[in-house]
Amino acid sequence: MLTDEAKLIVAAQAGSVAAFANLVGRYRVKLLRFLLTRCANFADAEDVLQETLTAAFRYLHSYDSRWRFSTWLYRIAIRNAQKMRSDLVVDLGDEVNDVIDETSNPLTDCIAASETENLWISARRVLNDDVFAALWLRYAEDMSISDVSKALERPDSWTKVNLYRARKALSVELKRESDGAIACG
Amino acid sequence: MDKLEEQLKIDAERIDVEVSDELDRRILASLHSAAPVAQKSITVARRSRLFWWASSLTGLAAAFAIIAVFNTFSAIDELSEPLAGLSTVGDSLSNSIAPTLGPPIDWKAESAMLTQPLQQEMLDVQSDIKKAERRVREDIGL
Repeated sequence: MLTDEAKLIVAAQAGSVAAFANLVGRYRVKLLRFLLTRCANFADAEDVLQETLTAAFRYLHSYDSRWRFSTWLYRIAIRNAQKMRSDLVVDLGDEVNDVIDETSNPLTDCIAASETENLWISARRVLNDDVFAALWLRYAEDMSISDVSKALERPDSWTKVNLYRARKALSVELKRESDGAIACG
Repeated sequence: MDKLEEQLKIDAERIDVEVSDELDRRILASLHSAAPVAQKSITVARRSRLFWWASSLTGLAAAFAIIAVFNTFSAIDELSEPLAGLSTVGDSLSNSIAPTLGPPIDWKAESAMLTQPLQQEMLDVQSDIKKAERRVREDIGL
């Protein structure tokens, strides 16, 4: 028996925009939040979200139902974000560094000021793109190791090792910050 | 779930993001303008049973041909041994085995004349045989 999602997928594969909009409705916000961690600014994240959903609709026939639909969507989103970044590098050449300020983070605009720093801000600072994405998909999106690996096009062993390292690096960072806070206090 | 995982989950929820109406409209507009790529019909060429028979027979014929060629060369090798004593090999060999093995094979080999020492050796051997034969006749009183 087909689940609601499977029914929507079948209808969308037949060309129904309404079914597709319904299908991706539950993922839009999550995807945008994830894309904010991979794009230089909010506008880019929105553009990548639009491109991702459009590409997903166009190529929905190639979706393999053995995958979770969300994993497939995230994979497209990651590719599109990478493409946007590389296009920017090609277009701007050396000037790209002026546009992409590595220290700026669009995430910070979306986080309410609080006493403790959001862990994802710390993670963005200490982890590289792919390791950060693995951590995000695993703990923010509750994906299995296998799904994370598929979304990132990496072997399971890579995902396991890098999740372990990421947790370790975050723990060190947290300890350092808490020690600093105590010293200042 | 340990403390770090829990904190990561809570902090992810604290990232306040929403899809604006304008973005929604943009997405819908691009979905309407983007026609799904037609699925390419999967045309697995179904081969008829005749194809499998034909390929099997071709394979068998090839195998027989290889066996026949191999056996032909073996027969030539065996036949060439008794002919070693002849004064010439090559063309004469081809001629001698040709009637039994079908069309003559171009060996691309030149006729080799036995050199004087070898011929001398053969004469010596024949002489030794004659001497031995004579001695045996004497011994048995013939």
